[in-house]
Amino acid sequence: MSAVALPVAAAARSFPALAWTVCRAEWRALRRSAVAVTAGLLLVVLTIAATLVSHEQMRAVEAERAHLQHEADEQWNAQPDRHPHRVVHYGHYIFRPVSPLAFFDFGVDPYTGHTLYLEGHRQNSANFSEAGQSSVLLRFGQLTPAFVVQTLAPLVIAFLAFGSVARERERGQLRLLVAQGLPGGALLAGKLASHAAVALLLAAPALAALAVIGALDAAVRWHALWMMAGYAAYVVLWALAAVLVSAAVPRARDALLALVGCWIVTVILLPRVLPDVAASQVPRPTRIETEVAIHKEVAALGDSHDPNDPHFAEFRRKVLAKYGVARVEDLPVNYGGLVIEEGERLTSELFVRHMHEEFGRQEAQAGIVGAAQLASPVLALRRLSNALAGSDRASHERFLLEGEAYRYRMVQALNRLHVNEVRYEGDRDQRIGSHFWRALPRFVHEPIGLSTIVQRHVRPALTVFALWLAGLVGGAWWLARRLERGAF
Amino acid sequence: MNTFKLELRLALHSRLAAGALALLLALAALAVWSGLHAVAQQRAALDRVAAVQRDDVAAVAHKYRTGGEAGYAAYSTPHLTDHPPGPLAFAAFGQRDVQPFALRVRLLGLQAQLYESESINPELAAAGRFDYAFVLVYLAPLFVIALMHDLVAGEREAGRLRLVHALPVPGARLWRRRIALRFGLVLAALMLPFLGGAVSAGVGPGATLLVIGITGLYVAFWFGLAAAVAARVRTSAGGAAVLLAVFVVLTLVLPTLVNGAIGRAVPVSKGAELSLAQRQAVHTAWDRPKEETMTKFFRTHPEWRDTPPLTEKFQWKWYYAMHQAGDDAVAGDVQAYRAAMTAREQWTAHSGWLLPSVAVQVVLHRMAATDLKSQLTYLDRVAAFHQQLRGYFYPYIFNERPFGPREFARLPQWQRDDGAGSVALAGVAALGLLALLAAGVGVAALRRVRP
Repeated sequence: MSAVALPVAAAARSFPALAWTVCRAEWRALRRSAVAVTAGLLLVVLTIAATLVSHEQMRAVEAERAHLQHEADEQWNAQPDRHPHRVVHYGHYIFRPVSPLAFFDFGVDPYTGHTLYLEGHRQNSANFSEAGQSSVLLRFGQLTPAFVVQTLAPLVIAFLAFGSVARERERGQLRLLVAQGLPGGALLAGKLASHAAVALLLAAPALAALAVIGALDAAVRWHALWMMAGYAAYVVLWALAAVLVSAAVPRARDALLALVGCWIVTVILLPRVLPDVAASQVPRPTRIETEVAIHKEVAALGDSHDPNDPHFAEFRRKVLAKYGVARVEDLPVNYGGLVIEEGERLTSELFVRHMHEEFGRQEAQAGIVGAAQLASPVLALRRLSNALAGSDRASHERFLLEGEAYRYRMVQALNRLHVNEVRYEGDRDQRIGSHFWRALPRFVHEPIGLSTIVQRHVRPALTVFALWLAGLVGGAWWLARRLERGAF
Repeated sequence: MNTFKLELRLALHSRLAAGALALLLALAALAVWSGLHAVAQQRAALDRVAAVQRDDVAAVAHKYRTGGEAGYAAYSTPHLTDHPPGPLAFAAFGQRDVQPFALRVRLLGLQAQLYESESINPELAAAGRFDYAFVLVYLAPLFVIALMHDLVAGEREAGRLRLVHALPVPGARLWRRRIALRFGLVLAALMLPFLGGAVSAGVGPGATLLVIGITGLYVAFWFGLAAAVAARVRTSAGGAAVLLAVFVVLTLVLPTLVNGAIGRAVPVSKGAELSLAQRQAVHTAWDRPKEETMTKFFRTHPEWRDTPPLTEKFQWKWYYAMHQAGDDAVAGDVQAYRAAMTAREQWTAHSGWLLPSVAVQVVLHRMAATDLKSQLTYLDRVAAFHQQLRGYFYPYIFNERPFGPREFARLPQWQRDDGAGSVALAGVAALGLLALLAAGVGVAALRRVRP
């Protein structure tokens, strides 16, 4: 901006009016700068492209999963009359549905499987993750609006703002302005306001995409609003930091280097180094080890095929006592079915316990990464964004836990049919009507409630932003005093 | 030599330059250490899995100490296959953290067992690994930019540019010498940690040299580009801005765009469809007459046609025929699934012809055998091993021969491969051309610098 643009008798005007004048002048300067306009436009175009492309991509994924789920349900219904235990082994497939906001931020979605094969006595892994079927390119990141705003926007903001104060200092205009009575606070406030506005303008297409989805889909309206708040706070944070760095260092060049350094460390480096630290701090067993551990625990619980097994001998005694008969053949229900039902109960308890243990380890790893949120706000934003987009680890875990719960209900319902509808005599050779399992309830995936997300991810992230903001405002106050003292 | 020393002192005198080089050295060392650590962790995990496996197999073997049914032995014995990290994996960890590196298979239908995923923490995987390839591809260019953005403008801003041009040495040669020096320093900062890692991981000299060559080419590409920009811009800040923009576009934006395009052009939902089809093929057989399954099986495996016929009760030969027929029924789908994944890999390699960052990733991961292709090769080897198991068990199952401890002891054993990758020559050539081109442009631009 040009010093001439400011009225000479600056001292006579109010603080907001002065700040507003500075802000307008800075805006004018930015508008005139071909570099600033080009960089800003490129980012905006990129955001729009990313929004359209990833929205389209997620719609295709959603359609694909819905189609596969439909196919799996059809296959389930088309089963002929069968022994219920055959149905237990036939199993069922469920596919994780996509959240309406997932297009904005794919989160961990490409790294988790979405296909769960549910069968009796076994717990299968979620298979066919995108990352497992893609080339190394996927590890570069994906072009989503979240990627553009989280990773690229800070760099553009830094470019637009690195000279905001430092360049005036280099040209000697700063001294002139202060000498004319412009309060340092008004100068900084004006610069901060103008660059915060620019940052919001850069993020506008992404925020608009969120607003549109929020307006169209009432179920995620508040999610979208919280996300808008998070992203807006994030870009404003960068704008403030960029202006303050520009005000704190003697030369524009140093400001640029410092800001790019901050960008490299907080956006590129820390998010990659910390997971490595976490992975080596909290070791996790491989799937085979867990599988074998469960297998051993199952064997220790009791062998239903062994007539002398203590657990199942006790089970039989209780069953016989309950029905007041002496032999399993005299029971009014199918004893074989009861044993399988009991076995499923025991193994499923183990599955769920091991799942929670594994999730605990992953949470511990995430905690190590999360501890750096304050140093690297992008980590805080990612947590907020992934959680609200329904593409975070917790959402995936919820799918796995719900899948396991559904598997248990489905298998036990079939085992109930085995108990009640199949005679003990000649058990294996009997079949029951397919209407029995056609009537079983379908898998319904309930996303995590908003209040949980807000409490676990949004509030901590916004707290991080608030702390940063407080720190930056404090820094601005200090810098403003320094400017006025002419200490530059 | 004296001028060289002088230039070296000049280069290291700048706090920014010296600091940047020290930082790059530290980051490369950290990345190498982290890569070695990750490889050691996977090796340790494989050892634990192998121990677990020995216990499991010993327990099954114990049951057959007096002989038994081959069909049941086949049913209850898991066979461990593994895909240990190769020597170069520490430098380019690639897909190893998202792909299963050990799979256990039984004699049942292969297609239902082949796609189990490893238990990963998706949050950590999504961030990507901090390995040598990452430092080289993402971070090294930033350091090149830090060292080069003010090459000419810095002299101009300091008012020395006229002086430089007044020297008896032509300007272009001076710039070249300065760039060569900085190039050497950056290369050394990257190379020394890598060499340390390569020696400790037992990488062969050929592969080590090739990685160093690729590092040199990639860094040369950036130096060339940086020189071309530095020669043209008026201010050092302008140089930094333009170079960073180029960096962001070449390493962040275009690769993600390419990835998105490939994902769109080559969808691979076939994996899940394949599973559905395979299950259907196996499980419908339970409700069909057994002869139907056997006829289907004999059509593709006529060598078992004349074995003793089926009886009324459950028989293992029918059970395994059913599983094999299930695999055979989806052979076409398997082909299509594989073809889609291979196509993704190939398109990625093709995009490396224009994007040096992609070329480096493709070449390094291919050499380290940590890419999708090497995972697919592993799955192929699992399939071949499964075939070998079928070949071993079928005579006992179909001819109803007894299966005792001797037979159990002679089970086919999984052979590890050496974990060595291959050289993607096209990628190396493309990288060489791009580096040459950038260097040429850089040299030409510097020749035109006027005070």
